[in-house]
Amino acid sequence: MRPRDGLAAQDAIARLLADYHPLPGVADELLDQTGRIRPVWERFMAHLAALPPEELSARFARGDQYLRDAGVFFRQYGDDNSSERAWPLSHIPVLIDEAEWNTVAEGLIQRADLLEAVVADLYGPNRLVGTGQLPATLVGRSPEWLRPLVGVPPRSGHHLHFLAFELGRGPDGTWWVLGDRAQAPSGAGFALENRMATARVFAELYAEANAHRLAGFFRTFRDALHGLCEDHREPRVAILTPGPLNDTYFEHAYIARYLGFMLLEGEDLTVEKGHVMVRTVGGLMPIDVLWRRLDAAFADPLELNSGSRIGTPGLVGAVRRGNVSLVNALGSGILETRALLAFLPRISMALRGEPLRIPNIATWWCGQPVERAHVRANAARMMIGSALSTRLPFDLDSATGIGGQGRGPEEIDAWIESEGPALVGQEAVTLSTTPAHVDGRLVPRPMSLRAFLVRTARGWEVMPGGFARIGRTPDPTAIAMQRGGSAADVWILGPGPTQSVTMLPEPSVAQPRLKQGALPSRAGDNLFWLGRYIERAEGMMRLLRAHHIRLAETGDPDAPLLTYLDRHLGDVGLDPGQEIPDGLRATLSAATSSAGQVRDRFSTDGWMALNDLSRTARRMAGTARAGDDCARAMGVLLRKITGFSGLVHENMYRFTGWRFLVIGRAMERSMEMAGLLAWLGAPDAPDGALDLAIEIGDSVMTHRRRYAAATTRETVIDLLALDGMNPRAILYQMGEVRNQVALLPGADVNGQLSRLSREVMRLHTDVATQLPEGLDTDALLDLRDRLFDLSGLLSETYLG
Amino acid sequence: MLYDVGMRITYSYDRPAAGGRHLLRLLPADLPGQQRLVSGLLSVSPAPAERSEMVDFFGNYGTEIIFRDLHDEIEFRVDARVERFAEPSGLDISPPLSGLAAEIAEYRSLDPDSPLHFLWSSARVQPTPEMTDYARAHVFDGITAFSAVLAIGRALFRDMEFDAEATTVETLAKEAFARRRGVCQDFAQIMIAMLRGIGVPAGYVSGFLRTNPPPGQPRLEGADAMHAWVRAWCGRDMGWIEFDPTNDLVVSLDHIVIARGRDYGDVSPVRGILRIAGDQTSEQAVDVIPVGAGY
Repeated sequence: MRPRDGLAAQDAIARLLADYHPLPGVADELLDQTGRIRPVWERFMAHLAALPPEELSARFARGDQYLRDAGVFFRQYGDDNSSERAWPLSHIPVLIDEAEWNTVAEGLIQRADLLEAVVADLYGPNRLVGTGQLPATLVGRSPEWLRPLVGVPPRSGHHLHFLAFELGRGPDGTWWVLGDRAQAPSGAGFALENRMATARVFAELYAEANAHRLAGFFRTFRDALHGLCEDHREPRVAILTPGPLNDTYFEHAYIARYLGFMLLEGEDLTVEKGHVMVRTVGGLMPIDVLWRRLDAAFADPLELNSGSRIGTPGLVGAVRRGNVSLVNALGSGILETRALLAFLPRISMALRGEPLRIPNIATWWCGQPVERAHVRANAARMMIGSALSTRLPFDLDSATGIGGQGRGPEEIDAWIESEGPALVGQEAVTLSTTPAHVDGRLVPRPMSLRAFLVRTARGWEVMPGGFARIGRTPDPTAIAMQRGGSAADVWILGPGPTQSVTMLPEPSVAQPRLKQGALPSRAGDNLFWLGRYIERAEGMMRLLRAHHIRLAETGDPDAPLLTYLDRHLGDVGLDPGQEIPDGLRATLSAATSSAGQVRDRFSTDGWMALNDLSRTARRMAGTARAGDDCARAMGVLLRKITGFSGLVHENMYRFTGWRFLVIGRAMERSMEMAGLLAWLGAPDAPDGALDLAIEIGDSVMTHRRRYAAATTRETVIDLLALDGMNPRAILYQMGEVRNQVALLPGADVNGQLSRLSREVMRLHTDVATQLPEGLDTDALLDLRDRLFDLSGLLSETYLG
Repeated sequence: MLYDVGMRITYSYDRPAAGGRHLLRLLPADLPGQQRLVSGLLSVSPAPAERSEMVDFFGNYGTEIIFRDLHDEIEFRVDARVERFAEPSGLDISPPLSGLAAEIAEYRSLDPDSPLHFLWSSARVQPTPEMTDYARAHVFDGITAFSAVLAIGRALFRDMEFDAEATTVETLAKEAFARRRGVCQDFAQIMIAMLRGIGVPAGYVSGFLRTNPPPGQPRLEGADAMHAWVRAWCGRDMGWIEFDPTNDLVVSLDHIVIARGRDYGDVSPVRGILRIAGDQTSEQAVDVIPVGAGY
């Protein structure tokens, strides 16, 4: 900045701050008590003020576009449904000075060590209870104290490997821990996405702002998980997710891709001889470390919650035998108990002889008379709620509320007296505010910050950044995203350039490469069915287009050829009376749902193309009219679906998963064509049926070029069934199946073909040696049945 | 008293199960001073692919078995010899019911026998106002904890009807109580809910009853199958006592303990995860015969 611009710049900053008025009694990240911009923000504010409003909007849009392109979403739960929502990024990052952050980090490391000591005691000697440091009732009553894990030491020697702390800044400027996340902390992946987007919004500034990069932390984390494996040369780490309906599933899929870990669900795993194994298309493969994103109670229906349908029976047994490391250990969730916050300060003194460097939010357990009296006397300024809840203080539920939420003072008294041991009072939090850009203005909004720690061989390491939640209104309780809050990036700014680290491997580090065949069977199954559904939808579109073209040409829905075709439509589940039949939309949504199960193996472009397809079909269902209009609509859908197929063919790496997708598609196409030819090539089919087959088979021009003569049953069968060069023909597709099956794991064992390979070979040969006259309707239907059986055999071999 | 215990449980599936994993709690317990497992054998047919033994948090024996092959029937057999010791007479040295809370509050242990595990709702036993009111109506000011346990157990025996058709293994205590009908499992879980509702730690016991009574005494309800009853904590001095609400008696030499827990879920004899398509049926037969006593 040149000196003579200084004044103008000051004016610009002043204009930017015209509507920025922190509330009295609340700390603000940007402005100090005298209203001056804090040093750590100066450069950022100057940059921001220099951007014209339209430029700023364009940049915000660029960040949002990145998030949309990356497919970032979160799942919002309504009263009776849930939906995927666009990621609510608050574009202005939270800036924190490196020196201050280092102090915070030291405090968090101290706390992480303390939590490890507490959880080790609770599942070990239980001295904290024995000496009265912790009330026995609190532990014994907690649903998170998992009795089957008592007395089971973790294989790694530690219960905790990855932690998060929710932090807030109080009115006097000091940081407070609002809650500990030890069960399955989420947010680190979202922090990374917030960073990617925010770095695009403020690209030049970010490049020179001396903000600490996040990639190093993730590499440390990956190395730490690899380090927990028994065999370091072949690390077998996977992420265990509850599945696509979980509110943070995107993060699970994203971070699995980013770190190169398998993403597994409980049913992907089985326990054999006390070892955790993943079911892959290449057979059972051992798993050494599970980063679980699933609450422990649901992890094993045999020994934990028997109602769980997302767990792995026998997992606890494998842990007990010391054959797997869980990050974090099953049972760590007890550390999230709200009431524990009332005791940690004293436990820190008792166990480690030192006070907490960062205090936690003041908490009083109402199971003790003095504390109970205190909460009663100060109820109006407290959040009173379940002592055993593991929710964060601002995740208010029906049973929690400031001042007891709508209860009169006498009611509160009675409540506390009757249910004392089940309740805690917590000081109502006043969070600091930070700038948010709302409707073109900069305004202060309450903020809480989630920090992440990973255990390394050398101790805890703190992510130099974090995940900030920004309130929608000045009300600090409206900060949860489920309640309309947003998320922001956190920049830790140093005095000089920070070391830039990427996830790219250093030359000296041997990069373990996962074996081919490490495709979980469930993922293979979903890809196979994705291929089938996509092809089925395409076939339906072609049939419907042919129907509507005929309808438009003849104008007579009762024409013999049309009614004949409509019977086939009915056979494949389409109601010709509907413009965009439900059967087509159901097939498209089945494809989307299969793809949704394998988001970690699927490009974002492919995912969006698929969603676009469903959306378009849904929109058309309301407007398209029978005849010409519908024929055109089908043309649009066909172009979109071929676009998707193109992505699959041109861009997907030839992993085993891709092969299953391609096999599914080829099998479906062969079955469809066999059925179509059996129907339209039948002796009693009306005039024009053979030409219709060529049209639906997309081979009009080829037929004209290859056969000078008129259309006969023989030419049609030759072109659509027996032609090895026509991608629409059964023989061609069978060749594709044969080629891909040969490349699957276990296709031949010691030179011997597997049963599946043999069957594929036999079927291919049978088709290849057929003559058109031999392939009559019965033979075609028989061929289709054999294809059904083949699909079943494939599932049995690889996907069951 | 020495017993020979024989039990057979069979499960039949309409369509073969593709595999399965079960946690079995079927072997009688070893309880110092109370019961001794002289010998015990649990056999499983067809032979499982894997079998391993464990002891759970509450000290119960567990056997985990895994089937990998198709099977349409499973049979579990227990052959055991158990010695049951005479317990001290039920002299009531328990504190007043109103004083129990103070003794519990002093308790600083979460050992398996700690009353603190047995005081609150558990997965299958949730005290309700109806059950707690019922329990309160059967105690009086100044009653001792032990007398309160007896009074509530007797009242239940009187007001409940034994009915093997009214409930299933999944029925919750409050549902069975609403119907005033059920089997030993329901009697036990209702009584546990009531005791917890008035602040008496109470747990669930699974086990066997001797098949034929001593001469001149009536045959006990539940002797043909596995049985269940209640244990209640009656203060520091008296400790745990066991009461059988289905038969209205304080447990002594006629009962053989298999497992103890907070409710049925902690001790379920066969906890299984398997993939089956059709229905299943099960049968069980139990014989508990005193050894060498001429019965």
